[in-house]
Amino acid sequence: MFPQKPDLSIRIPPKTELLKMVVELTKHLATINSFDPSQAQKIALAVDEAITNVIKHSYQGEAEGPIALEFYSAENGLKIRILFHGVPPQPALNQMDLKQLIRDKRKGGLGVELMRRIMDTVEYSTRKGINCCEMVKWNHPL
Amino acid sequence: MRTFSVKSKISEDVACLYLKGHLDAHHVDRFEKEMVKTIGNGMVKIIINGQQLSYISSAGMGIIMGYLDEVREKGGDIKLCELSDQVFEIFDLVGFTDIYEFLKDEAEAMERFKDVSAKA
Repeated sequence: MFPQKPDLSIRIPPKTELLKMVVELTKHLATINSFDPSQAQKIALAVDEAITNVIKHSYQGEAEGPIALEFYSAENGLKIRILFHGVPPQPALNQMDLKQLIRDKRKGGLGVELMRRIMDTVEYSTRKGINCCEMVKWNHPL
Repeated sequence: MRTFSVKSKISEDVACLYLKGHLDAHHVDRFEKEMVKTIGNGMVKIIINGQQLSYISSAGMGIIMGYLDEVREKGGDIKLCELSDQVFEIFDLVGFTDIYEFLKDEAEAMERFKDVSAKA
């Protein structure tokens, strides 16, 4: 069970230069939560992808608009919530078709798929003008 | 702070792009610029050497994806080599290993291009 209140929360502006800092922080927290380095790196990548999408699609490159990150630790898992304003995300419902993306010469379309393949759950919601991306990763026993 | 860099080297008709550091959405323009310059110079046989690449997000993978069709249409290809296990796993996770060749080292990637040229 995850606690009601986050173990750690931070607010950042929507700037891509902060992505690496968020990746390092997430990796560190995942490692503290007993994820191995490879899993920790992947969880950090999922957070990078989620925040990149917020900056590009919800805030559309605008410098204003906060992004709140909340980390919740459980004995066997990590929950991350990303809260933001702007355009509500509309993640693709269908599974990504890599061959089609290549044929279409697309450079985007991989981020949400990576998040889904890395994390156990990825859920988007919007309530009272606040968008939320909630992701959970369980630390499965070997 | 500069945490990503890309350099290129031409050997015969093959261009090798050396990616170094942390490649995310913040640094992706630098990579795309080098890719566009390479293809613009008529180089369509491209090796991405990731020996010093510590991290890649979908932004960087998108560049490798977005230009593949164009270089293959022109008789070339994009091959990847010398990736760390962690970076390779990310490509594998979304199916790049079904579409791209991942080689142990640059020499092997060069050989693969020569094999294709010899058969053509």
